Amino acid sequence: MSIKRVLRILLKDFSVGPRKPFFIWALIMPFALTLLFQFAFGSLFEPKPRVGIVDLGDSAVTGAVQELEGFEVSILRDVDDLVNRVEQHDLDAGLVLTAGFDNAVRAGEKPMLEFYISGESLASNRIIIGVTAIEMIRDLEGSEPPVDVQMVYFGKPGLPISIRLVPVIVFYALVMAGIWVPSASLVEEKEKGTLTALLVTSVRVNEVLAAKWLLGFLFAVFLAAVTLLLNQAFGPRPLEVMAVIIIAAALTSMIGLLIGIYSKTATMLFTLIKSLGIFLFIPVVFYLFPEWPQWVAKLFPLYWIISPIWEVSVMGEPLGSVWFEMLIAVAITLALIPFLLLLKKRMLA
Amino acid sequence: MRKTVSHSELLLAILRKDIRVYSRNMIYLFLTVLGLVFFIAIFWLVPDTVDEEITFAISPPLATLISEGKESLQAHGVPAQLLDQFDEFETAFEEEGFVLVEFENEELLIKAVSGELEIYRTDQGRFIIYDPDGDQQAPADAGKVSLDIGMSFPSSFFSDAVLGQQSTVTVFADAAVPEEIRGAMQGLIREMAFQLAGHELPVELPDEEMIILGQDRLGDQISMRARMRPLIAFFIMMMETFALASLISNEVLQRTVTALLVTPMRIWHFLMAKTLFGTALAMGQAVIILIFVRAFTVANWPLLLVIVLLGSLLFTAVAMLVGAAGKDFIGQLMFSLLFIIPLMIPSFAVLFPGSAASWVRILPSYPIVRLLYDVTIHGSLWSDSITLIIYAVIWALVLYGAGLFVLKRKVAAL
Repeated sequence: MSIKRVLRILLKDFSVGPRKPFFIWALIMPFALTLLFQFAFGSLFEPKPRVGIVDLGDSAVTGAVQELEGFEVSILRDVDDLVNRVEQHDLDAGLVLTAGFDNAVRAGEKPMLEFYISGESLASNRIIIGVTAIEMIRDLEGSEPPVDVQMVYFGKPGLPISIRLVPVIVFYALVMAGIWVPSASLVEEKEKGTLTALLVTSVRVNEVLAAKWLLGFLFAVFLAAVTLLLNQAFGPRPLEVMAVIIIAAALTSMIGLLIGIYSKTATMLFTLIKSLGIFLFIPVVFYLFPEWPQWVAKLFPLYWIISPIWEVSVMGEPLGSVWFEMLIAVAITLALIPFLLLLKKRMLA
Repeated sequence: MRKTVSHSELLLAILRKDIRVYSRNMIYLFLTVLGLVFFIAIFWLVPDTVDEEITFAISPPLATLISEGKESLQAHGVPAQLLDQFDEFETAFEEEGFVLVEFENEELLIKAVSGELEIYRTDQGRFIIYDPDGDQQAPADAGKVSLDIGMSFPSSFFSDAVLGQQSTVTVFADAAVPEEIRGAMQGLIREMAFQLAGHELPVELPDEEMIILGQDRLGDQISMRARMRPLIAFFIMMMETFALASLISNEVLQRTVTALLVTPMRIWHFLMAKTLFGTALAMGQAVIILIFVRAFTVANWPLLLVIVLLGSLLFTAVAMLVGAAGKDFIGQLMFSLLFIIPLMIPSFAVLFPGSAASWVRILPSYPIVRLLYDVTIHGSLWSDSITLIIYAVIWALVLYGAGLFVLKRKVAAL
């Protein structure tokens, strides 16, 4: 095998790649998913109580509510707009602070609280918002509570959904780049006849396959790293994260190469990726639902790469804590080589 | 000898050919069946309930806390009739949205919150404490309750608060409990103490009827499963864009349409056949899905069929636009996504609480998604839907006109 020829084929793939739709989609997908998951679905899975305030008198309550954690606060100018938004359930609750509200509370005048709750708001959100609003007003009144509340916590703080979704986005980066790119590139060469043309030159089939594997590998490493960076999930050990990504990319590119060798047409490739996709995706779902029995995820091959990425990048664990998972990932990659050789023979035949 | 072929015969011939080609395309046939099974399975797997309650524990039990408070205050000379107001605290915890689990002592409460003990709730609302490390089996016919927060009151809490003495309440919580719930629980305890100490609310609260805006869905929230019902009908129609676009792409790429044009077939026959085939394919599947997710009712079925027909026509039009480009399989797939992704946005918008952003409402698929949502979830009928139907018809016709124009030009240019 000539490394020079492998690199030439790889260079050719990289130079024509940006014009290929599968290449562009592989590049766009992780960015699009990051945007979608971080900004849209984050609020779908863990909705926070949404409160709107119309402050007609520069009340201290407004500032206090804005500083609260766990609420989405919108400051509005118009009462009708607030009422309309609460009615449409764009807000869970709305609070109108009239001019002189603070002074009236401090003076013990018991002003009427203009407060609205959306009919579609959850019972729990109604309680949370109601109790919090009363507490803010009590603070304004200045009276000391006749009780001392002490908090005692158990366990570790839960991870926000935006972080729990990181394995999904990294999975897509690895699959789109590691599986889709080398397989689609190889199938396209087969369909257009350029593979046959290449093989009548001094280029050997192993060199083509090595170049395709490298194409997927380098692209997968790059996209997985960029995805983690975008999601601020590189953790305290970036070099160790890179080591895990390299092993993950090696495995996904090997799967991609196998699919590419097996598929005769783009239609077949698409069917295979679609069908296998569900099987490959299953371990990722277990990160979204930590209450599910986690041992089931271990039955699926990509668990052994998603788990180390999760542990080292998101949880900040050292590389040594995932050596077993990484060993299994390497073993799976190596175990696929005999299949690769078999399928290569079939492809050449 | 020439036999005149009628328009309907020509159309039927093209339709038969399209059905044959479609049934031979294993990928789309496979994806169609997979899609139907997958969406129906997802629908029935998604939870049909909405958890809108805050479950928390207290120790000692509320009744014990109140009776001990009363005894202590009576011992301090407070008249018994003044202490009857304490009973109102029990009803406060029965408010909708609260689930209260009572423990005899703090030790049990800590074990339950830290997960050493598990709590199960029977259908009758009784709570069972279960020790997973013990010999007993987990209670059957009872659901596990997630207990993340607990409050341990001193037995003198009521009397201390009334007599103006500072007491300490310890709140035990799982660190994963959201900040807003922890804050609300602390606020609740402080407010209880304020009320007991005779500090009235510093504001007047309006009547509940005045403050609830819109339909009050307390205890009757829209579940994720109900929200999925319109979505999956929409997705299945959308997925047919890929199949029809591929069919048209192949005809354009392989020039079969030019071969057909030497027969009595005219371009409009071809366009009409594609319209009929694409619309029927998408509509047929959407109707199957809607039957399996039990969306049809005696009152809404004609309206739902009209909505699905409009949606199917819309996606057929998109398929014509995509297919006219005559790209290869991968190219056509990627090109389809350029159209499909923006059209998908309104479907996600309905998953979120509240109304869709103004820019989402402009998208051609918005009226279809909104109509499916309103009819299957809110039970809207013709009179409530007429504006959106007109909006959907306009978009379907605009896109269909564009699809016909582009495809006709493409076929004529081949």
